[in-house]
Amino acid sequence: MTLPHKLTDCPYRRREDRATDRAAGWRLGGVLLILGLISQGSLGWADEPAKFDVAIAPLFKERCVKCHGPAKAEAELDLSTAAAVVRGGENGPIVVPHQVDDSLLWERVVADEMPPKHPLTADEKARIKAWILAGAPGLPARSSKGDADHWAFRKLAPVQPPSVKNEDVTRGPLDRFIEAALEREGGSLAPEAPRQRLIRRVSLSLTGLTPSPADVAAYLDDKAPDAYSRMVERFLASPRYGERWGKYWLDAAGYADSNGYFNADSDRPLAYRYRDYVVRAFNADLTFDRFLREQLAGDELPGYEPGQPVTAETADRLIATHFLRNGQDGSGESDGNPDEVRVDRYTALESCQQIVASALLGLTIQCAKCHSHKFEPITHEDYYRFQAIFAPVFPAATDSLWIKPQARFVLAPTADQKRQWDRQIRAADDQAALLQASLREWASKNRPRGEVVFLDDFESDAPLKPRWSNTAPTDDKPGGSPPVTVDSDKAPAARSRNGRLEVIAGTTFDSWLTTTQSFDWTPDHPGESIQATFDLVDTRLSAQGKSAERVGYFLATHDFDDSGKLSGGNILVDGHPTGSTSVLADYPGRDATPRGAIGRTGYVAGRNYGVRVTNVDKGQFRLEQLVDGFPEEGAITLAAGDLPDGGFGFEYHADRSFVVDNVRIERFGASAESDRSSIAARDAEFGRRQKELEAARNQANGLKNAPPFKIAWATDVTPTPPETHLLERGDYARPGKAMAASPLSALASGGASFASQSPAGGRTTGRRLALANWLTDPNERAAALMARVQVNRIWQSHFGTGIVATPENLGLSGAPPTHPELLDWLAFEFVRSGWSVKRVHRQILDSATFRQSSDAEPSAPTDDRSLGRFPAVRLDAETIRDCMLAVSGELDTAMGGPYVPIQATGDGAVVVPDSQPGGLRRSIYLQQRRTQPVSLLQVFDAPTIVFNSLRRPRTAMPLQSLALMNSDFVRARAKAFASRLEREEPDQAKRIPLAFLTAWSREPSLEERQAATGFLDEQSRLYGLGAEGRNKAWVDFCQSMLMSNEFLYLD
Amino acid sequence: MQPGAEGLWESVTRRGFLSRYAGGIGGLALADLLASGEPRAGEIGQASDFRTAFGKAKSVICLFQHGGPSQMDLFDSKPALRKYHGQPYPGGKLEVHFDKQKGNVLGSPFKFARHGESGIELCELLPHTAGIVDDITMIRSMKTDSVDHESALRLIHTGRFLAGMPVWGSWVVYGLGTENANLPAYVVLTDPGGLPVDGERNWSSGWLPAVYQGTPFRSGNTPVLDLKTPADLPDRARRNQLKWLEEVNLRHLKRHPGNTELEARVKNFETAARMQTAVPELLDLSQENAATRTLYGLDDPATADYGRRCLLARRLVENGVRFVQIYMKGQPWDTHSNNAESLKGLCATTDRPSAALVKDLKQRGLLDSTIVIWTGEFGRLPISQGTDGRDHNRHAFSMWIAGGGFRAGYTHGATDDFGYESVQDVVTVHDLHATLLHTLGLDHRKLTVQHDGRGTSLTDADVTGAKLVPALLA
Repeated sequence: MTLPHKLTDCPYRRREDRATDRAAGWRLGGVLLILGLISQGSLGWADEPAKFDVAIAPLFKERCVKCHGPAKAEAELDLSTAAAVVRGGENGPIVVPHQVDDSLLWERVVADEMPPKHPLTADEKARIKAWILAGAPGLPARSSKGDADHWAFRKLAPVQPPSVKNEDVTRGPLDRFIEAALEREGGSLAPEAPRQRLIRRVSLSLTGLTPSPADVAAYLDDKAPDAYSRMVERFLASPRYGERWGKYWLDAAGYADSNGYFNADSDRPLAYRYRDYVVRAFNADLTFDRFLREQLAGDELPGYEPGQPVTAETADRLIATHFLRNGQDGSGESDGNPDEVRVDRYTALESCQQIVASALLGLTIQCAKCHSHKFEPITHEDYYRFQAIFAPVFPAATDSLWIKPQARFVLAPTADQKRQWDRQIRAADDQAALLQASLREWASKNRPRGEVVFLDDFESDAPLKPRWSNTAPTDDKPGGSPPVTVDSDKAPAARSRNGRLEVIAGTTFDSWLTTTQSFDWTPDHPGESIQATFDLVDTRLSAQGKSAERVGYFLATHDFDDSGKLSGGNILVDGHPTGSTSVLADYPGRDATPRGAIGRTGYVAGRNYGVRVTNVDKGQFRLEQLVDGFPEEGAITLAAGDLPDGGFGFEYHADRSFVVDNVRIERFGASAESDRSSIAARDAEFGRRQKELEAARNQANGLKNAPPFKIAWATDVTPTPPETHLLERGDYARPGKAMAASPLSALASGGASFASQSPAGGRTTGRRLALANWLTDPNERAAALMARVQVNRIWQSHFGTGIVATPENLGLSGAPPTHPELLDWLAFEFVRSGWSVKRVHRQILDSATFRQSSDAEPSAPTDDRSLGRFPAVRLDAETIRDCMLAVSGELDTAMGGPYVPIQATGDGAVVVPDSQPGGLRRSIYLQQRRTQPVSLLQVFDAPTIVFNSLRRPRTAMPLQSLALMNSDFVRARAKAFASRLEREEPDQAKRIPLAFLTAWSREPSLEERQAATGFLDEQSRLYGLGAEGRNKAWVDFCQSMLMSNEFLYLD
Repeated sequence: MQPGAEGLWESVTRRGFLSRYAGGIGGLALADLLASGEPRAGEIGQASDFRTAFGKAKSVICLFQHGGPSQMDLFDSKPALRKYHGQPYPGGKLEVHFDKQKGNVLGSPFKFARHGESGIELCELLPHTAGIVDDITMIRSMKTDSVDHESALRLIHTGRFLAGMPVWGSWVVYGLGTENANLPAYVVLTDPGGLPVDGERNWSSGWLPAVYQGTPFRSGNTPVLDLKTPADLPDRARRNQLKWLEEVNLRHLKRHPGNTELEARVKNFETAARMQTAVPELLDLSQENAATRTLYGLDDPATADYGRRCLLARRLVENGVRFVQIYMKGQPWDTHSNNAESLKGLCATTDRPSAALVKDLKQRGLLDSTIVIWTGEFGRLPISQGTDGRDHNRHAFSMWIAGGGFRAGYTHGATDDFGYESVQDVVTVHDLHATLLHTLGLDHRKLTVQHDGRGTSLTDADVTGAKLVPALLA
């Protein structure tokens, strides 16, 4: 079967010339509209000669590149990059600077020959003409094929900051790039912002929290010349920094606490360890190259030996590989036919590829899944060479190798962890054993005793024959094939050894051993009962043996033969190690019928088990489970016909060997009325002890099931994976030629390949390690691109928009950079300094560009991207929530650990109740469930993670106003804020400045103070006089502060 | 025209801006994205390029039938299935989802009859739909690309297999804006019992701003999240608080003259306050007379919940809401077992209110401007799954559509003899999108937004081959 539905996502599946009739996006009219709307000349070509990257490249991209691009290059002409334009096509150069008439480009365009069918508009032609006449600015002097044409694909080189007229306004090289561009537009950097605003800005930028009043006061009092730098350092050193910047990375990495894909959106209980690793990494300023190497190939780095204790550092590396499995993965819940299951698996693999490409390389690769990319130099082959790197982790094409997400983990304790954990488990086990022994002793003294009708204590090690047999008392045919060999060790076998009975299972199913004695299983009168019990000595034959999955035994055995005439009887009691024993009648065979479950205690070694059958009148018999001789809740009822006279025996089932002793069958009369209360008291005492024991055992099991060193990692499932095949048109059912793992060709330097070089130990292919080395080798162009992508996103997080506005796409189809030289300078410095992210922050935060005022001067209008002022940027959803908690004084700064669970309320909201443990922690620690984003965060544009999120929209919607006005969360913060103020400042007059300082990090002006007093008086009056009205007014005042633009914006 | 949207940003059309800004949509002032898309004097022409002269429909109500309603038991009578009932499928290859439970041919146990002047054939479980056949277009030749619920839901909602794209409602609102700024432009009415399969993704605006997202109106006391003023805040105090807040914000705005985003945020508090009264009034069904309530089956427990949502949908479009989607809990039409009995119950719930909505819109003169769509995400197989169920089928399903310029009393297309595959006049989900946009006066090839470096649209016609289906139009 083909799966064409996958192809419909691919925008360029057909080769038809497409979309040339679409409204051309960059017609001059449209561009002027943009400029008029948001900016004045931000793109740099409104009133000066247009540069290629800014003015011409977008036009070519829209109108020409589909035929004259890296993929198609008709007439050997590629118009996608400046270098390629210079090179020209098969007819030679196409642009002669300043000479319109000599330029082939102009000739074709003005004659409406190109583009065919849909010629350029007059405006577009005018643009090209003006550009050529201006000397074709932006084209490099020369180019030869094979160069890295696209600006973002070039190697990094030192960049000389430009000279500026107005040196005084700059503080360092970074500013010169911004100032030079501003000066070309007749602008300049704005003066420095007031100090209160600077500390608020730095605090929000680095920690995502407002500064405390004490922080503000300390900074304002610090008159030393380096006060600002030291203030920056304080915030960089705060653990809150890692939470803030870790979250940006988690968004880029596509982190979520659920698998997504299917509606079930199942849980990822261990993902938090990766989240915590990321926070730690940012706080420690782990160098970015190492950070990437650990995430891509932490399992391939030295340090990890399966089965050996790890160091904390090695454990972190294994945790880091969770990066690779952040994508949606429905393969744990896949159903449907094999083709569909394969689609589900491939989605996990492709998600991994897409996240790596967009977060690390700023490339959109998914088009190349079906064919070579039309706009980017990424070929169909490239896509599958790239896929071959990750296919050993996600072997989507090979059913037998696939590991479901819940089984994709490793146990990797440090020596200390292992010791500690072993100790904890031993202590818990000892405690349980102690309780069990004590219960056993108590029970053996106090258990009810009846008339013993059968007892075998196996003391003499005498042969089992004639008391036991492999045939039922009323039958002469042995059960099962082969039947049990009695008094032998040839499995399946039964023998008496060391005073106990060994049930030695073979590999076939359904044999048995029963007593040769027959019993009456239906006591005559109501209240009378018969019970069979035995000690379960062990659930395996030796310490090396496998524990039996079940301990099965029979009542009323009469006939093993399934085709026999007798129905009923052969009651199988199937004891389960973790509780709930199922009962089947007429076992084995097709006519076996489940009759329900009894009891609740699991079958573990060292206890006494069994069942009791009691006549409850009217031909009905109650069957209940006995543990240590005491009945448990959860009985079922059988009819007399179910319980013919017959033997008692044990089931032999494949691989289920166990050891028992003291098989005892007893008969009881009805208990006298006068004994009832003492029986009840005795049963209650047993129940109490039993609960105590269960609690101890649960604790031990809990520890065993969730070891602190269980790591949800990603690793190659085999060092010798099957070949990765190119898929014709992306169709999983049409594998083509085998592809070797290798770098993307557009970024490859000669001959590099990721040929299998399995690291020490030979557990993996080494492909991801090779990828990691390639991406972080400063001599590689891939590393240059990766560095640009990272500094661009850092810039975006500080200024609201990146130097390239499309951080997910620095390829040919991405947005052009506003300050290309600055981006290269930052990237070069980033690599040169040894990949320190904190150092990039310092460079940016120390700049005059960052420190300038955000006030707009009406006389000198500018826009947010040319940075002639600091842009006002709305805080993101998590920061809004976190800051409200910080301002109200309630923020719980506990770090790390399993997520704080979210709850869906009856009216459809998703919330985290304040009262829940961790309910007031930072948003990064709330459960990130893909299908259920927290409502308050979602309304402020927190993303639902599909692949990953590299930038967010920042909307202004009435629904946000409603949340600020009416949500329980905001109202509760306002109340807590008011209480905090009252607590910290009893004097109401002084409380207003404290409120301003806490929420807005500044003192009020005299006018504001008076206005605030006026509001509080009026609001109190509306509520009625008195202290209560005043308090309510304060709450409303505090809420207004949290609702205000001054609170919601970084400016 | 949007009330309260005067001001400097009145004169530009943000959609035009959005569709051209290569950098995409982050970081813009978006408060007024919902301004009506009517071309205005002095506006640069291409800003509303995507508007066409055709299209009299103004709003859409989609009655979404999650799970894949069985076409051969409801709309598409197949005598051959009864003939071969219980025998191995004679029609060649079948694509089966749960292939281990593949059974023999399963005939429909229901009787079919022709109705109305148009003679459209329906099964006996749909007596009320039978009463509106002359107002509907019955499409028997639908086709989609996936047999997986979630993927197929995304295909019909967004035109794409993968999650994260804007749904059709978002595209329609993007193209047409709203006519009542006091209400969300795109409203979703969910089942009081719970969300449908794939939940919020069914009304997600994807990478379009959240302003285009469907707003769920819940059935409890708070139809819109945070709509109610806190109980401890009397109206007078709230008004005074908002007045103070405005004063605070205007003072802040002085530092940022011309910042439209900050201005929009100031205005949004007014809009939000108006929504607080507008929404509850709209949801107050006590204003409807007894005849209307009976028409929608509000007095019958079987139809009351679904009927209430149908009636609300009418009130919403009456009040200028652009796109309304009604959902049921889970995926009720997913009849993998007990197909026939399940259909009886489902029709008893939905038949009467669905038909009532069409009737009511018509008698109020709203059917010309309102499109009603009844559809699921795919169809079902002609063979049984297990003994009495039907498995998924992407090759054929049936749907109906009424009003807004669609051709009334018309049956379009046909499936093969067994109802397995659409063979005549096939309509893909992409064709449906193209035609739907057309009836709303939107050109599906031109209604684009720059995303991931290219103009992206609902239909992506160059890839999907989406085309207008003129035969469906009146």
